[in-house]
Amino acid sequence: MPRRRLPKYALALPAWLWLIAFFIVPVAVVFWYSFGYKPGLFGSHANDVLSFDRYLEVLTPTFFKTFLNTLQIGVAGTLLCFLIGAPVAYWMALKAPAHLKGLLVALVLVPFWTNFLIRTIGWMIVLSPEGWVSQAFQALGFNPVSILYTRPAVLLGVVYNYLPLMILPLFVAFDRVGVVLREASKDLGASPLRTFTRVTFPLARPGVIVGVLLVYIPLMGDYITATVLGGAKGNMVGQMLASQFQTAQNWALGSAMAIMLILITMGSIAVMGGLIILGTMPIRRRNRVRLQEVSV
Amino acid sequence: MTSALVGSGEGAFAAPGTASGAARDAASSRSGTASGSTTDGAPPQHRPRRTFLDRTLKVWAILIFAFLFTPIVVIVAYSFNTGRLLAAFTGFGFDSFGALFTKPVVRDAVLVSLKVGVIAAIFAALLGTFAGIALARRPGKWTYWFMGLLLLVAVTPEIVDAVALLPWLVFLGQDLGLGMFNNGIVRLVIGNSVFSIAVVTYLVRARLLGMPENLEEASADLYAPPMRTFRRVTLPLTMPAILAGLLLSFTFSLDDTIVASFVQVSGATPWPVYVLSAVHSGLRPEVAAVSSIMLVITLGALAVVGIVLKRAGDSSAEIASTMAGG
Repeated sequence: MPRRRLPKYALALPAWLWLIAFFIVPVAVVFWYSFGYKPGLFGSHANDVLSFDRYLEVLTPTFFKTFLNTLQIGVAGTLLCFLIGAPVAYWMALKAPAHLKGLLVALVLVPFWTNFLIRTIGWMIVLSPEGWVSQAFQALGFNPVSILYTRPAVLLGVVYNYLPLMILPLFVAFDRVGVVLREASKDLGASPLRTFTRVTFPLARPGVIVGVLLVYIPLMGDYITATVLGGAKGNMVGQMLASQFQTAQNWALGSAMAIMLILITMGSIAVMGGLIILGTMPIRRRNRVRLQEVSV
Repeated sequence: MTSALVGSGEGAFAAPGTASGAARDAASSRSGTASGSTTDGAPPQHRPRRTFLDRTLKVWAILIFAFLFTPIVVIVAYSFNTGRLLAAFTGFGFDSFGALFTKPVVRDAVLVSLKVGVIAAIFAALLGTFAGIALARRPGKWTYWFMGLLLLVAVTPEIVDAVALLPWLVFLGQDLGLGMFNNGIVRLVIGNSVFSIAVVTYLVRARLLGMPENLEEASADLYAPPMRTFRRVTLPLTMPAILAGLLLSFTFSLDDTIVASFVQVSGATPWPVYVLSAVHSGLRPEVAAVSSIMLVITLGALAVVGIVLKRAGDSSAEIASTMAGG
């Protein structure tokens, strides 16, 4: 390679500067605002006195309730996405006819690429009092149900909206495992269960982690699903912090909520990751010992 | 957790092992004759065994695909609603599609979305391509910092981006008096660019990392100046990733609701923000009609991405991970 006078990162410099100017700096400003306060009725923020008071305010039951609610929906939604999506991804990658794979991927991508808001409105129509679900209940002789604007509606919405983000990485992971190693495991006398727990799943584990993170992180910050399907009862943090900026005009409190959302999202991932590592340690240790016996 | 779910299922149906084993042999001999090879020791092929579990998985997958398409089918169906309100289907007709021509608000919103989509896509493709090439071909200590920055962009909730950009753009535009930051289109392009740049960078980097530097070195050995090597070798090699990134960025901006609803200026409202405000004030069938048209545009763009990547030799799995935004 010929020597150059330009530094190595020269080509990346425009993107770098742009991301700093319109991502790092704004988020840093929000971080700064979160230590300020709202001065009077017409001001949105002031930073002449710095304190942790906004964080304490976020921790009061009025606001923290919404955080807990969001955490519940986040964990339940991610878990449901996994339980629903994993068998689909497994089937697509390892059981479906090979020539159909491209089509199946396209079928998952179409909903993924349909406008998020429009998909959610589609559910709003289905769940509305005059919608199909309610009519089906009435036809069966029940009272008209209103699922719309409840927490189950929000849960349904988020599971639906983030399901493709779970299926796609899991599909990629299972597809990478491929047929050959699984066949080898079978030929060596392993039962299907053993093949799954010892070959397929360990190899697909990175994809599982990616899928869980791809669903959980945006789900925690979800704004649209809760706004359209949740109403007042299915409130989530995204909506609450948006209203601090848009209607309440309390930027300091809204900023503290934004920082808190990031902290809680990252913190809960760390806790869950730690628990999973601790919980599976005995199993992995056992497997390792057996593997050595085999190799001897 | 996972192994408990899928694993226990497999275990439950693995019990009649001998029976399924016999079925497997029958199936393998069938597939053997079908593919024309008669030896049993042929290279491992996917032997179609139809166990009960496989069939259950298939039914489940079909159900989930139906679930995934439910709201989309509903939106397309309700775009032919002639009633006044979207959710109450009264009659079939094409009236709602006329709104695109008769209602200036609707038409303007769609035009704003398309305009922003095109500008943001070109912009993100430009910055992202250079950054991606630098990451793949000029690695160094800075690579870790830059990748860390991209990761940060990817994991920050969109709503945080949105609330952060609003005060910042207000500061730049009004307090510093930089007039361009008060322009609605500029603001929307900025709002959409951050995530798109990260995606294009990632795609371009991934493609170049998958390709050895031989060709570029050969070009340099043959006395091509660096610019010509870049233009004639590196750029064509990267083209599929750039094109994919361009179209993905376009659809990202077309769909962006959260950031846009914060940074938008009245007079330059993009389509999704118009729809979001209509959610509160009452949705009309034209929302479904225009959304169906936008869906066709989006899917057209994505079909092109798929074809480009397929031509470039990607497998369905690679296309899937590319299209999920890296």
